[in-house]
Amino acid sequence: MRDVAIIGAGIIPFGRRDEDTLMDMLAYASLKALDDAGLGDGSVDAVVVGNMGGGIIQHQTSIASSLVDRLSLLPAAAETVENGPASGGSAVKNGLLAVASGYYDYVLVVGGEKMREVTGWRATDFVATMTHPQAEYPYGITLPGMAGMFTRLYMEKYGVTREQLVAVALKNQAMGALNPYAHVEMALSREGIFESPHAVVNNPLVADPLHLYDACPVSDGAAAIVLCPLEMAKKMGKTPILIAGFGQATDTQTLQERDDPTDLKAVSLAAQQAFEMAKLKPGDIHVAELHDAFTILEIAESEHVGFFKKGEGGKAAEAGKTQLGGTIPINISGGLKARGHPVGATGVAQVVEIVFQLRHELPKNRQVKNAETGLTVNFGGFGNNVLCFVLRRVQP
Amino acid sequence: MKKIAIVAYKCKKCGRIHYPFHDRCLECKSREFDEIKPEGNVKLLTFTVIYNLPWGFDQRFLVIGIAEFENGVKAMGQIKADSGDQLKIGMTMKAGWEPVRVQYGEDVYGLKFEPVG
Repeated sequence: MRDVAIIGAGIIPFGRRDEDTLMDMLAYASLKALDDAGLGDGSVDAVVVGNMGGGIIQHQTSIASSLVDRLSLLPAAAETVENGPASGGSAVKNGLLAVASGYYDYVLVVGGEKMREVTGWRATDFVATMTHPQAEYPYGITLPGMAGMFTRLYMEKYGVTREQLVAVALKNQAMGALNPYAHVEMALSREGIFESPHAVVNNPLVADPLHLYDACPVSDGAAAIVLCPLEMAKKMGKTPILIAGFGQATDTQTLQERDDPTDLKAVSLAAQQAFEMAKLKPGDIHVAELHDAFTILEIAESEHVGFFKKGEGGKAAEAGKTQLGGTIPINISGGLKARGHPVGATGVAQVVEIVFQLRHELPKNRQVKNAETGLTVNFGGFGNNVLCFVLRRVQP
Repeated sequence: MKKIAIVAYKCKKCGRIHYPFHDRCLECKSREFDEIKPEGNVKLLTFTVIYNLPWGFDQRFLVIGIAEFENGVKAMGQIKADSGDQLKIGMTMKAGWEPVRVQYGEDVYGLKFEPVG
């Protein structure tokens, strides 16, 4: 197996992009990554696209084939990878393995989703299609609903409080306000969403006990990276970012069949595999992008990857340990919570953010000082398919 | 009242109860199961009240939970309640088989839980 590096990264602003088609967004992000890699007028051997909903929302399939045609990357190999909200992470994994195996040298990985094309009613249904078609979907369960049931159990077992969830929301939206690629560029006040009598109106329940500002927005967006063997990357000028570790694990589709529904086994296993491959420990990581589709998930994942003991993640968030300048800065991009969650794009966008962090390219108010290592968690289904990457800065 | 139509699967080798169906036991990989019917009342394991409903649900909110029958079968169902205030993890509920949504003009039946007493 060859070491694989990221030599290019690109992302377009997430949000409501009425003027762009899904293909427009995938193309824009791809061109940014190719330009960043110095391959703007060059070619790649293969293209992997992460997308969950093109077939349902846009009534469009064979998306990767369209993209290579549009980008004039013919005759590059191309396929679309669908793995629910972890489609982006799965696309990165497929690109990684293709280069690591020695079969391809240059692979473009793109993740994208256009969700605002339909009403919230339809988008919520589209995301719910990942639930079990007989045992869950007919009841009207939604992903916020799954997260609500999980939060209730986590609160009961570990004493997670509403204040701790609010701390995550405040941190991530404050960071999102500083990120030009974020969907929600608006910082929140504790008073506005929690303490004042108006908080009930500003921040209503969406899936009890989760409120509106515990949840990520529904977004359009795309992000891309270019991969090549580390040895080739070292000769290309830019600081190569090594994919030092990777892990992926699955869990039961329904929450009720897990021995302990608060135990996100797939997160723990994916992280353990990634750390083992990277020969690093959770304490060695300088910055992390966790899959905070809901505030509770940032807390639970921060424990399951090993940053904090079980039951300590909420307290750590409240104490500021996960802020910029804290012991382990988490979601300094704003996370899914503020950057947004175009489902197929998220796993790639997380990697793009860590690349920017490890190349020390971000403005001071978002840069984790001297960051050398980073971690991402891309959480599919309700924790039934999870990917984890450990990235490391390499001197060119 | 209609009979509950779901079937759970008890592994003939290790006894683990599955719902929904798996081709191989989650525990021991055996492929042989006895079909069992959910029995008795249920214990509420967790619940939520959903206010942002998906396409197909034209109502203000929906109460949904996961519950465990007396013979160990665990399943999701809708809960007959005006809010989450009257619900508590661990409470006993009765289970019925009632319309849970309408699709293509027809009722779709599923589990409905209701607090006892």
